[in-house]
Amino acid sequence: MIKDLTIGQYYPVNSLIHSLDPRFKIVLLVVLLVFTFIADNFFALGLMVAFVLVVMVISKVPFSMYLKNLKIILPILIFTMLLNLFYVADGVVLYEFWVIKITVGGISRSVFMSLRVILLIIISATLTYTTTPNDLTTAIERLCSPLRFIGLGSAVHTMSMMMTIALRFIPTLVEETEKIINAQKARGADFESGKLMQRVKAIIPILIPLLISSVRRAYDLAEAMESRCYNGGKNKTMMKQLKIKNGDIISTIVVIIFCCSIITLNIFF
Amino acid sequence: MSFLRVENLTHIYNQKTTYSRDAVSNVSFTAEKGEIIGVIGHTGSGKSTLIQHLNGLLKPDEGHIYIDGTDIWADPKKIKNFRFKVGLVFQYPEYQLFDETVYDDIAFGPKNMGMSSEEIEKTVNEIILEVGLSKDYLEKSPFDLSGGEKRRVAIAGVLAMKPEIIAFDEPTAGLDPSGRQMVTDIIRNYRDKYNATVIIVSHSMEDIAALADKILVMNKGKLQMYGTPKEVFSKGLELKEIDLSVPQVTTVFDILRKKGFNLPDNVITVDEAVKLLVNLKQEGCTND
Ligand SMILES: Nc1ncnc2c1ncn2[C@@H]1O[C@H](COP(=O)(O)OP(=O)(O)OP(=O)(O)O)[C@@H](O)[C@H]1O
Ligand SMILES: [Mg+2]
Repeated sequence: MIKDLTIGQYYPVNSLIHSLDPRFKIVLLVVLLVFTFIADNFFALGLMVAFVLVVMVISKVPFSMYLKNLKIILPILIFTMLLNLFYVADGVVLYEFWVIKITVGGISRSVFMSLRVILLIIISATLTYTTTPNDLTTAIERLCSPLRFIGLGSAVHTMSMMMTIALRFIPTLVEETEKIINAQKARGADFESGKLMQRVKAIIPILIPLLISSVRRAYDLAEAMESRCYNGGKNKTMMKQLKIKNGDIISTIVVIIFCCSIITLNIFF
Repeated sequence: MSFLRVENLTHIYNQKTTYSRDAVSNVSFTAEKGEIIGVIGHTGSGKSTLIQHLNGLLKPDEGHIYIDGTDIWADPKKIKNFRFKVGLVFQYPEYQLFDETVYDDIAFGPKNMGMSSEEIEKTVNEIILEVGLSKDYLEKSPFDLSGGEKRRVAIAGVLAMKPEIIAFDEPTAGLDPSGRQMVTDIIRNYRDKYNATVIIVSHSMEDIAALADKILVMNKGKLQMYGTPKEVFSKGLELKEIDLSVPQVTTVFDILRKKGFNLPDNVITVDEAVKLLVNLKQEGCTND
């Protein structure tokens, strides 16, 4: 069903990772992403894998959820593997046929690169699984708030408002699309068979009602906001105040120690 | 053998996940040609889910649906045939309008059925009158119409397929009294003309009382009662327990009965009520 495609994929459980301040979570996860690239040998990357596995367990999000994410990028993963496998000619040649040459260096490189891609995906998934979309946008707005000193304060607010609204309406639109598809199916519309052109044409009865209702919703929302005297972010405080807790400080320290270990491993091997 | 037979229908949304829930469980009922069945139930009781099974939009997790003796899922490849046999008018059907003119929009279903263009033209011209609009509307854009007119065009789009069974999900929601009257008239006329089986989901007990031959009461996915309007609405207390009400006139008559007036407990429409009250008044006059 279309519902599987939702972007806001928050997984509602209580875990240490869920309870972290979203600002810290974003920064720490970005640091982890960067260190996935900094780790440049198998020892460093191995430590990285171990660390991410621990994070996955602490997050209480089932592994199957993470796997679902990996399934989506499987083609990219395979492509990365093959590319590295064939293009890196380094070390003992294991197999040679015409222009194809598989070497030990190639295999280790392709394993290394795919591990990196997998780590990147899992780290970013951790953020979306453990943080509600609202918290995410609030945190981004807060993190960008220094921009107000260069006169971009209202732009930051506008952007984050747009993001909040977009995220808020994704499930609504998905539901609406499903309804419209069902209504047209009930009138005998066929989306599954026929030639390409016919299939493209079959989308029109869904697209037009969807567009119209989106525009209608946008007007309604704008009107509702205006009638509540919404006028942008000037001098506005947040309803949900973010507070730094002990857990945030501890996890920051853990991540710093972890990063130092990665650098050490990089230097010594 | 009944024309429409639903047997032990069960539907579970999001099976195998933490969000799993039985939207419809073990529902069985039958309906004949020419009958209007009203479906009532508290919000979330599974009414919409139930009717989406009738034309195969949803597949039962358990149970069967027989139309004219055939199980609609006997051959899943032929399920599309039942989309034409069983019409389904969704809630707020005006949001499904998409074509440039009212004509094209009404013709969408018949076209999908593979009707010839002469047939389509004949059908569209006939149906537009049946929903109480004049032929001038055919050339208009559906987006230029009023809400009530859009609703009628959308209903016409389903009626144009001449389904033998037709289900309406809250067809009068959001309409003014005259709009509601118009829609209930369309439904009754369609039944009379084509001897179709009609199923109406509604929150308006008045509409149901005025239209239905039988009422199906849903409660938390289960079928609670199935009977004639008089039978169902005479069980006011039982209905109240599942957050449903009886038509307003029935309540008024209950109050009158409690005050000592000699009135029956199965009055459900205003017309009936008026007759009885007029009689009562005349009796009162003659007694004086
Ligand atoms: N697409 C869906 N996915 C998951 N659950 C659903 C879906 N549609 C309905 N449900 C659930 O199934 C149950 C029955 O819903 P349904 O829409 O059939 O109720 P209803 O009787 O039509 O209610 P209403 O009077 O509000 O329209 C509800 O608890 C609802 O949350
Ligand atoms: Mg419903």
